[in-house]
Amino acid sequence: MTDSNVGHVSQVIGSIVDAQFADDNLPAIYNALKINVDREVLGETKSEVLWCEVAQHLGGGRVRAVALDSTDGVARGQEVQDTGSPIQVPVGEQNLGRVFNLVGETIDDLGPVEVTERRPIHREPPELDELSAKTELFETGIKVMDLLCPLVRGGKAGLFGGAGVGKTVIIQELIARLARFHSGYSCFAGVGERTREGNDLWLEMQEAKIGDTGKSVIDQTVMVFGQMNEPPGARLRVALSALTMAEYFRDQTGVDTLLFIDNIFRFSQAGSEVSALLGRMPSAVGYQPTLGTEMGELQERITSTKRGAVTSIQAIYVPADDYTDPAPATAFTHLDSTVNLERSISEKGIYPAVDPLASSSRIIAPELIGERHYRVARQVQQILQRYKDLQDIIAILGVDELSEEDKMVVRRARKIERFLSQPFYVAEQFTGFKGIYVSLEDTIRSFEELCAGKWDHLPDQAFMYVGAIEDAERRAEDFK
Amino acid sequence: MANRRVLVKRRKTARNIRKITRTMQLISTARLQKFHGRAVASKPYTEKLAELVADLTRAGAGTDHPLLAERSGSGGAAVLVVSSNRGLCGGYNSNVLRLGVEHLDHLAGEGRATDVHVVGKKGTSYFEFLGREMDRRTTDISDFPAFDQVEPIANDFLERFAAGTLDSVDVVFTRFISAGKQVPTVERLLPLAAQVADDGEAVGPTLEYEFSPEPRQLLDELLPASFRIRLFQAFVDSAVSEQVARMVAMKAATDAAGDMIKRLTQQYNRARQTSITMELLDIVGGANALS
Repeated sequence: MTDSNVGHVSQVIGSIVDAQFADDNLPAIYNALKINVDREVLGETKSEVLWCEVAQHLGGGRVRAVALDSTDGVARGQEVQDTGSPIQVPVGEQNLGRVFNLVGETIDDLGPVEVTERRPIHREPPELDELSAKTELFETGIKVMDLLCPLVRGGKAGLFGGAGVGKTVIIQELIARLARFHSGYSCFAGVGERTREGNDLWLEMQEAKIGDTGKSVIDQTVMVFGQMNEPPGARLRVALSALTMAEYFRDQTGVDTLLFIDNIFRFSQAGSEVSALLGRMPSAVGYQPTLGTEMGELQERITSTKRGAVTSIQAIYVPADDYTDPAPATAFTHLDSTVNLERSISEKGIYPAVDPLASSSRIIAPELIGERHYRVARQVQQILQRYKDLQDIIAILGVDELSEEDKMVVRRARKIERFLSQPFYVAEQFTGFKGIYVSLEDTIRSFEELCAGKWDHLPDQAFMYVGAIEDAERRAEDFK
Repeated sequence: MANRRVLVKRRKTARNIRKITRTMQLISTARLQKFHGRAVASKPYTEKLAELVADLTRAGAGTDHPLLAERSGSGGAAVLVVSSNRGLCGGYNSNVLRLGVEHLDHLAGEGRATDVHVVGKKGTSYFEFLGREMDRRTTDISDFPAFDQVEPIANDFLERFAAGTLDSVDVVFTRFISAGKQVPTVERLLPLAAQVADDGEAVGPTLEYEFSPEPRQLLDELLPASFRIRLFQAFVDSAVSEQVARMVAMKAATDAAGDMIKRLTQQYNRARQTSITMELLDIVGGANALS
């Protein structure tokens, strides 16, 4: 350690800290800097450590660093210590069940973890020849996802959606569904979302049990939070911290690891804030010019190797429901499956509000998921697409003017649309319906029969919030 | 933005559709007036004829006439379904066709062989879609039927009824009651008995007739004439109803298209403004960063 390498704060602007070092002994880019700050909290003076990360060398021995916490209490001339390495977080199985911040300190009031190994949060992505090329469907038991945009085991899935269409609910539902039946470990990164949601999730994971082992979901999970209250530097790096812990599980233990990130957009947003503070010229729509690079550096590391698989599920906020916005657009290209949440569907009261036409998955191909699944998925999309095309005509001329074939398409599409809804485990207290797990086989069969017209006689309403098609039949009986 | 182009295209489509629907609305309004006059003009004749037949039968003249006699046999039941040749008339066709199919199923449920005659292109294509058999189809009747176009159909029914291959003739059509009310109806035209009794009661005091020539001879003339005119009236009612339905449907469509154009225009303007603001922000931001 270059303990001796000490500099002094020369300028503080927001969360950017400039420090003066000896000209021949500069801390490297990405190195962590330590500043001891005395902060007054409720009348008591506490000494805290402020971590910063070197971002630029300004010349003349000055380095510009991004603060990973509030810069309150920092003054010019204060000592800055170079730690000689990037931010390092503890990794290992003792992390399971714990909650961390981005620098690897526990924030769940259960005392510190026993640190056996620390790893820097900046790493190279795995080499090309280390990547695994498996493609296997990851069943979630959610009809619309399994049918139209199935997750890939060891792949990346993105949940796109505007404000309040249910991204976080789906993430939590997936945690509940996957983590509950999952034998490996899970990592959750809370990036710039509501702190309250993180807390809810933590409590929920303590209650939820894995299968019938008696263990809580939290015992197999690591949570890392850098929520809305944190400065941009923290929000920019928290995903990397969680990823580093997940990478350890992948590389060292080889078990299947799930990585949940809510919300990747906040990562881009934080990057834009930092970029502006660093004085870079903004690019399209005011984003940082390095938007694509930053996203690439993060996403390329989230991948499965021959040693183990990381399946990641990321929520991605879409500002103003505009999918052409650069932030969601850059995330888009990295994903194996994209689940688009659509406001007009949530307005109809259909949850999950997955847009069946815009959502897709790389593995929707007959040679990967089988001829039958492929055919049914495409058929469902065809019917819904036709219905969408007809919508303007219906709005103007009315259903009666359609040809008989089109009328039938419309009738089936209305049923399919409703049948894509499903009760969630985590939304039980809102909907009053118990969560339902529908097996892939049931899903395919149900939609196959629906497309073939076997259930044309049931009223539309019978298809809302049911599991397999037999549930709809039972529901229709109840109406009588 | 691609979104804006889509909006412009959709608005153009809606405008074109509105042009068509508005024209159709005007045409059907003009036609309705014309058809309505003609339908009303033929009504007194139809009614008077029915009255005469009722009076005659009540006078006891030839209740055993073959056209009046109820047949219990299991012979064929002819069903004539009247639809239109053209669309854009709202629920007009689907209502009458649904009733027609229901009636056919009902007859089939009684175990009777049906002889289906469908009038109108919309009707024939509907039956084809359902995969139902049509024994006869007519698609060359003009928008407002002329009597000579209906007469051959009537004569054909009369012949087959007289020959005993048919036991009954029903017509499914849209009855025109008023400009605000049209009802899809099933009416039994042959044998005439049922109708006679119904209408007979409505007519005022019975008159004593002196017959010359003989009642039987008179009925031989009158009953077929009555059947023909009733059938013709069904066609006329349908034609008028079609125009009313079209007028109403096109009015609604024109209004709906107007609403849609308004909404799309709003969306388009908003999208346009947003993109201008965005571009301005980019330019200003870029310029500021440079200075």
